Amino acid sequence: MIQLLISGLAMGSIYALVALGIVVIANAVNVVNFAQGENVMLGAYVAATLTLTLHLPILAAYAISIILLALYGYIFQKVAYYPLRKKPFITVVVATIGVSMFLKNAARIVWGPQPIYFAGPFGESMIRVGGVSINAQNILIIVVTLALVVFQHFFFAKTSLGRQMQATAQDQEAATLMGIKVSRMIAFTFIYSSMLAAAAGVLLAPIFYVSADMGANLGLKAFAASIIGGFGSVPGAILGGLFLGVLEIFAAAYVSSLYKDAFAFIVLILILAFMPRGLFGEKISTKV
Amino acid sequence: MNKKVLRYLVFILLAAVILSIPGVMPNNYYRGLANLSLIYVIVALGLNFIYGYTGYISFAQAAFFGIGAYTTALLGVDHHISFWLALPLSGIMASLFGVLIGIPSLKLTGHYLAMATIGFGIIVQMLMQNWTSFTHGATGVGNIPGISLGGFTISSASQYYYFLLFFVVLSILVTWSIEHSNLGRSFKAVREDEIAAATSGINLTFTKVFSFALSAFFAGIAGGLYASMSAYISPDTFSFDQSIVFFTMVLIGGAGTMLGPVIGAILLTFVPELLRFMKEYYMALFGIGIVLIMIFIPQGIVNVFAKDGQFAEWITAKRTARVESPQKDL
Repeated sequence: MIQLLISGLAMGSIYALVALGIVVIANAVNVVNFAQGENVMLGAYVAATLTLTLHLPILAAYAISIILLALYGYIFQKVAYYPLRKKPFITVVVATIGVSMFLKNAARIVWGPQPIYFAGPFGESMIRVGGVSINAQNILIIVVTLALVVFQHFFFAKTSLGRQMQATAQDQEAATLMGIKVSRMIAFTFIYSSMLAAAAGVLLAPIFYVSADMGANLGLKAFAASIIGGFGSVPGAILGGLFLGVLEIFAAAYVSSLYKDAFAFIVLILILAFMPRGLFGEKISTKV
Repeated sequence: MNKKVLRYLVFILLAAVILSIPGVMPNNYYRGLANLSLIYVIVALGLNFIYGYTGYISFAQAAFFGIGAYTTALLGVDHHISFWLALPLSGIMASLFGVLIGIPSLKLTGHYLAMATIGFGIIVQMLMQNWTSFTHGATGVGNIPGISLGGFTISSASQYYYFLLFFVVLSILVTWSIEHSNLGRSFKAVREDEIAAATSGINLTFTKVFSFALSAFFAGIAGGLYASMSAYISPDTFSFDQSIVFFTMVLIGGAGTMLGPVIGAILLTFVPELLRFMKEYYMALFGIGIVLIMIFIPQGIVNVFAKDGQFAEWITAKRTARVESPQKDL
């Protein structure tokens, strides 16, 4: 029971990190990045290669992976977002889907079709708490996610860069008038989102095998989680992710493991049909 | 030579090319591909109703296609029902699901609708894979009965080509008459401005749900044809990725035009096959291709060659109102 809850929260933390990456971009430029799941995959592969092939210490590999993904985030927005910034929403969305197809298949070419096992810093070790043994990696995921969420809160609330990024997300025109370099802030948002993906990737790697397909469902489910929580809201993305992770683990254990992946989408459709602003979201006002 | 004669000549030439395809194709593999492209034309024409004309995103077209395919397959294999009864039932079954997904769409747009249709598609595919007692599970359905017409059984790829061509022509005629009906005009009115459409007396609920149902119906019919032609179907054909391919067909060809989905479907069936010599690289290149198309010709091929519907005017030899491709801020 406790083990299930912990592993649910760990998986939920991963969903929350991926969902956050989707939401910060959606808030800044009103585009859903369907490649976010593949960015996670990329982060995991880069770290795995650095550790397993180049034999770098694991924490250095994590750091380099996050830095490389930041660079990638910049390139991604230059190639797939910037030329399309004046186009309708759907054009950009389809372009991000194109990027995700490219990444998935390119990863299969570069790293081969075999999934790679990439252990975390604690290996397989278990922590025993009052007669219950818990996978140490799960604890690590929850703690790191918590730390990142706290960091993000202070980053957006207190630092100048964070505030400028937030101002850009709220109102681009007003931000421009305030002397904020909007396109640079948008680039930073993409960079930040890719770094979140890398963090999710290295945390997830020991639980999932690292494979070209690891990101596909992850991205969609994280998107679903952000809608379940209330799309566009940061607490909504985090709570929606945690909720989805716990729900999935318990549904798989007590209802049906065959349909484990379906529950996210069943809940999503129910939420959309009956409470479209999500479980924890703010009121959506349509522009009329 | 005046314009009228030229037009007839082009038509005759085009008809000759279309009719001679099975003879021109080097082998049965390419004939099969031509047949597949005809089936995809029907799917894309369907998707064009909901996205092109009505302006709503649907990433569930492969699921509707699959529902049609499974209806014909399961009715034929498990219940020995003739193709001619199963085919309309495939269309109806798919459109019932279209209504089911169309109803929540009344409240949803943009991201939300995209995600709802993706979720629906994934659930449908999961049922196909795991509900073994009903759908035969992940191994798929085999030995689907073929099509016979008054004692004559369609067997060769060429015969299938002409049979499918009949359905494509029928679909185009239906699309054309809907586009030029009040219903078609309501679709476009909803796309351009929902509130204005409602004020002009258009029943929004009916129009949107009907558009979804119509999209699904086309996909369902195409699915039934696909199941009977290939004699074997499996769940992996009806994936989210396939829905994206269908969507890209409509976008590349030109959403909201009649010719666009036709061109897009043919192009996206043949080009990946021609690139197959690149083996595993081609799916990666396909992804890059989508990005490039979105950057350079997001309005679709048809709209590049014929700005402001000149092409349609030329084909139909009459002036039609200028129709913009969907640019609504979704």
